[in-house]
Amino acid sequence: MTPRRTLRVARWEATRGVSGVDRRTAVLLAVALLVLAALAPLLVAFAPTPGAGVYRVAVADGDPYRAPVDATPQLRAVDPGANAVASGRADVAIGAGGVRIADTEKGRAALATFRDAVTAYNDRLMASEGDQAAAFPVVVNLTYVERSAVRVGGTAGSGDGSSGASGTTTGATSAGTTSAGTTSATTTSGTTTSATTTSATSETATSATSETAAPDGERPGSGGDGPATPSDITPPFPLRSLLYAFVFLLPLNVVIQAYGSSVIDERIDRRGEPLLVSPASRGDIVVGKALPYFLGAVAVTAVVAAAVGAGVRSVVALLPLAGLFLGVTFLGALFARSYKELTFVTVTVSVGLMAYAFVPAVFTEVHPIAAISPLSVVVRDIRGDPFSLGAFLLATAPVALAAAVCYGLGLGVYREEDLFTQKRLPAKALDALAAPLSSAWRVGLWTAAFVPFVLIAELFAVAALFVVPEAFAIPVVLALVALVEEAAKSLHVYAGFANARFPDTDRVALAVGVAAGVGFFVGEKLLLLTRLVDLPNVAVGGAAFGGVELGVGSLALLVAPLALHVAAATTSALGARRGRRWYALAFCCAVGLHLAYDYAVVSVLG
Amino acid sequence: MLSVSGLTKTYGDVEAVRGISFDVDDGEVFGLVGPNGAGKTSTLKTLAGLLEPTSGSVVVNGYDSTDPEMRRTLGFLPEDSPLYEDMTPRSYLRFFADLYDVPRETADDRIAAALDRLALDVRDRPVGDFSKGMKRKVAIARSLVNDPDVLVYDEPASGLDPTTTNVVVEFTRELAERGKTVVFSAHDLYHVESVCDRVAIVSNGEIAAQGTLADIRADHGRVEYHVFADVPLDGATEVEPGRYRLAVESMAGVEDARVRAADAGGELVDIRTRESTLEDVFLAVTGGEA
Repeated sequence: MTPRRTLRVARWEATRGVSGVDRRTAVLLAVALLVLAALAPLLVAFAPTPGAGVYRVAVADGDPYRAPVDATPQLRAVDPGANAVASGRADVAIGAGGVRIADTEKGRAALATFRDAVTAYNDRLMASEGDQAAAFPVVVNLTYVERSAVRVGGTAGSGDGSSGASGTTTGATSAGTTSAGTTSATTTSGTTTSATTTSATSETATSATSETAAPDGERPGSGGDGPATPSDITPPFPLRSLLYAFVFLLPLNVVIQAYGSSVIDERIDRRGEPLLVSPASRGDIVVGKALPYFLGAVAVTAVVAAAVGAGVRSVVALLPLAGLFLGVTFLGALFARSYKELTFVTVTVSVGLMAYAFVPAVFTEVHPIAAISPLSVVVRDIRGDPFSLGAFLLATAPVALAAAVCYGLGLGVYREEDLFTQKRLPAKALDALAAPLSSAWRVGLWTAAFVPFVLIAELFAVAALFVVPEAFAIPVVLALVALVEEAAKSLHVYAGFANARFPDTDRVALAVGVAAGVGFFVGEKLLLLTRLVDLPNVAVGGAAFGGVELGVGSLALLVAPLALHVAAATTSALGARRGRRWYALAFCCAVGLHLAYDYAVVSVLG
Repeated sequence: MLSVSGLTKTYGDVEAVRGISFDVDDGEVFGLVGPNGAGKTSTLKTLAGLLEPTSGSVVVNGYDSTDPEMRRTLGFLPEDSPLYEDMTPRSYLRFFADLYDVPRETADDRIAAALDRLALDVRDRPVGDFSKGMKRKVAIARSLVNDPDVLVYDEPASGLDPTTTNVVVEFTRELAERGKTVVFSAHDLYHVESVCDRVAIVSNGEIAAQGTLADIRADHGRVEYHVFADVPLDGATEVEPGRYRLAVESMAGVEDARVRAADAGGELVDIRTRESTLEDVFLAVTGGEA
């Protein structure tokens, strides 16, 4: 590659991109971007709160409960007056006689919100105390455990605070279960620490300490026994994370539309042919054409970051994502036969990558699974939360590597013989996979290079399934892992045989199979990134990534995954050399082998 | 200047070019003719470095065709005129001149000279507004921005009107006179005959005949004698009342016709010699494919 030529192509591409848009469209685009940039900070600063003021609470100005009501968006203070609830002016009324609520669903919901508001208010007050040991003499670590039956009643533990005294929640929480007419109580969790140490470290750690008593209200049939199980701890609605995800990802979709059109424009009527004859190398052309769009994405990201108060780290974290958006679009535009197919490709790219980046990021404030998304870095950056280099790498490295692999594959087919053919999309994908393969060594190298895609797919599977009951999620994750990993080890090998990149012999099939297995084993060590954020400790994460850890520490356990990958990849390769049907059959065998291995690993890990 | 040796190009199971060999000297115009699918375009694209040979070699100005440096010394004109239609001829040609590291002033001079010679006066309108002939002229000008020693033109006059075709053909001849080596393919055999110093007839990926036009005619053509008699002869065609034409391939045939005419009470009134055209040779060599 020659930087001067690359920049020349980039300058030309930028000029064409600008001159290709008429003045009116350019103005509209500029206005749209400005409006987006202006709205972003407003949306973030004045994020709409769902149900703001939906519950009316009749409370006097001087009442101690007034402050919690004022501090809670969902609650709206109204004149207490007489019969505020009965007359329908309020859902909850606080007065000398206690707390009264309307005997309606809304009344009960209003009370629940009011109780939460009071608890949160008290917590904030206590948190501002200088002597934290005095403020929180008892800290309780709560750990979620699976609840196997329906809770019908029965609690142990205090903390309802109805006495108005300082109360603490004990760690013992029981859930009653009913079975065939009998009731049993099961202790599910509870760890009490010393009174002088604050050690709330878990994602679910909380404390319930009352300054202002959280009232139970006069609910028919409630009996005043407020629930105190872990399920009462509700995560904050991640609206801000959602907004950040939206404002950062939206412009990338506009950028890839323009980029995809530009790439396919080179292929329509062979317009790009003269460039291929010029002294500019394939790398000059591909990088030069992508550069303006990448820089455009960076510029828009920087503007949005500045608008929402994010820093340089946010922009840097999003660069790989912009690269992957462009990389996948580049490949798609090389495979598509028409603008119509390109539209399908770009929509698929948008939906897929948006889902990967968007969905986990929404849980940034809630769950460690969010760490897989570069947007989680942005959210943490804006919130001022610290994040480790490991977390940064997990969020960005797989995406960056995947982007590089996309461009590597695309470069292989950015040549006359492949660029202008009108093969079907799967056939072109196979061409791209086969193009860089010329030896067993390269098969191993490219197998290792596909691991970022494996990581992304597996992370996304974990992200999608972590809320699903484990009994269902773990088998599904295991099956997906086996499918994805065996595909990564064998699809390009099949493409190589189909494109006659290797001699069609069993000996060669064995060699490339072994190379693919070893390559995957080496690349798989990238999955150790997940340890940096403790992802294997998430149950479905353990199912997906637990096996990788077996490779650490023991020679026997190091050899086991290597043997698996080599055996499975060789099986697929032997089938691949015999044609599509044999490959399909061999692939199924490899997946079965992998599944059996993973099942054994999960069983061993417990 | 340009040497092709044992060139083979396969696409999957299809062997498009099979062991083609030829050399082209400085200032020579070499024509590739052949039916559709004969392997001409694959050969030219391999010469231009667009395709990698499956086997064999192509050496241009001392560079292997796979050597990126070779591209600096070569100008390629594809069969179509793939241009960026939103660009003007001037900006388009300047862009390519930049890629070839041609200084701006030199590039502007070359661009102006080429467009002047090709009689393309419209230079600041988007190429998308141009006719096919005008686009072809821009594409030809692009092949010259780096002042290459070797020009590879694929069907340079394909689909053009007669006037533009003549401009392109004459310009090709001029380029050779200026010392450029030109290799080009054409369907119109008249242009090949009028421009080329040497020709290769390609059929089924192989060179079926190669050499100067005279050599090829000698090897693959034939001389026919058309004898005209004033009486009907077996196998003769009446071309006008009382005048019959018979085609024979040798002087013995002429003598035989004279005897038959005399036996019928008439005589031969005219004898003409007709040499094979390139088209005749082409049809003979390719078995009538077009």
